[in-house]
Amino acid sequence: MNVGVAHSEVNPNTRVMNSRGMWLTYALGVGLLHIVLLSIPFFSVPVAWTLTNIIHNLGMYVFLHAVKGTPFETPDQGKARLLTHWEQLDYGVQFTSSRKFFTISPIILVASGVLNSSKRPSTMHQLVLEQRRMKNTKDTRYFLASFYTKYDPTHFILNTASLLSVLIPKMPQLHGVRIFGINKY
Amino acid sequence: QQNGKPHFYKPIVESFEEAPLHVMVFTYMGYALGTLFGYFRDFLRNWGIEKCKAAAERKEQKDFVPLYLDFENFFKRNIYVRIRDNWNRPICSSPASRFDIMERVSDDYNWTFRFTGKIIKDVINMGSYNFLGLGVKYNESMRTVKDVLEAYGVGVASTRQEMGTLDKHKELEDLVAKFLNVEAAMVFGMGFATNSMNIPALVGKGCLILSDELNHTSLVLGARLSGATIRVFKHNNTKNLEKLLRDAVIYGQPRTHRAWKKILILVEGIYSMEGSIVHLPQIVALKNKYKAYLYIDEAHSIGTMGPTGRGVVEFFGMDPRDVDVLMGTFSKSFGSSGGYIAGRKDLVDYLRVNSHSAVYATSMSPPVSEQIIRSIKFLMGMDGTTQGTQRVQQLAKNTRYFRQRLKQMGFIVYGNEESPVVPLLLYMPGKIAAFARLLLKKKIGVVVVGFPATPLAGARARFCVSAAHTREDLDTVLEAIDEIGDLLQLKYSRRRKS
Repeated sequence: MNVGVAHSEVNPNTRVMNSRGMWLTYALGVGLLHIVLLSIPFFSVPVAWTLTNIIHNLGMYVFLHAVKGTPFETPDQGKARLLTHWEQLDYGVQFTSSRKFFTISPIILVASGVLNSSKRPSTMHQLVLEQRRMKNTKDTRYFLASFYTKYDPTHFILNTASLLSVLIPKMPQLHGVRIFGINKY
Repeated sequence: QQNGKPHFYKPIVESFEEAPLHVMVFTYMGYALGTLFGYFRDFLRNWGIEKCKAAAERKEQKDFVPLYLDFENFFKRNIYVRIRDNWNRPICSSPASRFDIMERVSDDYNWTFRFTGKIIKDVINMGSYNFLGLGVKYNESMRTVKDVLEAYGVGVASTRQEMGTLDKHKELEDLVAKFLNVEAAMVFGMGFATNSMNIPALVGKGCLILSDELNHTSLVLGARLSGATIRVFKHNNTKNLEKLLRDAVIYGQPRTHRAWKKILILVEGIYSMEGSIVHLPQIVALKNKYKAYLYIDEAHSIGTMGPTGRGVVEFFGMDPRDVDVLMGTFSKSFGSSGGYIAGRKDLVDYLRVNSHSAVYATSMSPPVSEQIIRSIKFLMGMDGTTQGTQRVQQLAKNTRYFRQRLKQMGFIVYGNEESPVVPLLLYMPGKIAAFARLLLKKKIGVVVVGFPATPLAGARARFCVSAAHTREDLDTVLEAIDEIGDLLQLKYSRRRKS
């Protein structure tokens, strides 16, 4: 039970998100959460979507941006003790593929709430046409998601607020920044 | 072509098969579930609902920075402790092919252990580094060791440079040099310390170390202590190593672009967690082309590889003068302890003066040296029999049989097909504990490793095949593994041959 007995990686936390199958597991986990919420008979579909977004973003914030350090002792005398998991990813190199994936995934998920608030008409036929035109871009799912929450302002505010709470800490300018000294030590 | 003979490298047959994707998904879900439960249990412990059995600070220190229950011990107290009974098992006999384990039970889920007093006898040993079967209890062939113990005692009470160089050391060093077919050798009291104390003597600031990804902690520590720049190349990947060498030679040191003083390539003969063998011919070709130095750590491969056990250099049919620094340990195949560094005479003379171990560390104990002398003479046939070479060949036969059978059963086994270190991949954290416990119930002892010692989805059981294992021993073990593999669904290989 010692880090790095079988490899010379000083901090395994930096490579965990690049492991084979991690992104798939994450997507499946989110899907599972959503299906569980959809199965509860009290929640309507828009409420289930918004709850998925909120719970997912809350979990992501806590585990990637609130918890600091490593759950095991590393052989580098604790260089990462004051860094959150997001700051430890890939030893602080920005714009790697893991970072891009985890930045874009809440956007895809929350897009339902964001597009909620726009006053665009939403007939099924128009949306399906747009979907067919933009088949290979991420906007496909953006519009797909937007179809479901029926554009309620409350949902929009909740979704956008939780999305911002999870997107702002990921910006490279905020690497290592602790606002008002919260969570510093 | 040289001398009319075609220049063929020995074909290297190794496999690192990847498991199907669903295995990885389940592994990560297992760790995620363990983490969530860990947070839950920590919450219960903090609020006093559950009694905390780990060490705790005194009441007066409650407001200080946490010493015992902090986040760095999270993995240990929530995941490791639950399966902790598979490690640190006390044994009470010599590590021969069968050994005795003290039975211990835990009443509170592995927080504390107690010994029942019973001893589990004749457990088949698949974990000890007893490759040639020389780690047995005293028998008549070890008579010389007893005589040396009576003549010299146990302690040396000095360092090599002060009063600690015995004639036994000189005899041992000459014998090691003769065994390896090099000019000279020097022995040290501890294998780990051989690496960590001598690499700083060889390289320093302004030098470059190119070290393999999966190098042992002693090599990594020695490299860090030396103060040289360290660059890591992917495991056994000669293309990556060549790229790093070219960049080093072309661009020089980082800021000043001056040439590097020395470039040292650090590799191991057999990597103990992967079972892979270094691609020595290609690396030596690279080193000659780019004028770098090569340091090879033959901890597991000395005594086990090659037709007469001379190590990985003989295995590939190469010249020992191709490798600049040959390092090895005596704790694995020779049934003793300590390490050596061998090479050219001027290198070894330099180390006699400048090695940190020679100046500050106590030298090797005399009965330990005599045991190594006896083992090397046994291996070389100088005791008048051919049993040494027979043991090396028996080890090779056992290795090939064991690996072939495991692969046929459908397990994913890493490494070269001729390496006696056999890692069997388990992947999921629950299966690590289940595998080790079920095998102990069947009276077989194995070593298992998990995260964070290995990569996240790389938990494995590591078998060390020994020349002392008979065919019946191996068959017993293989049957047990077969049964447990079916029960735990470990047969992930998609290349099943039978």
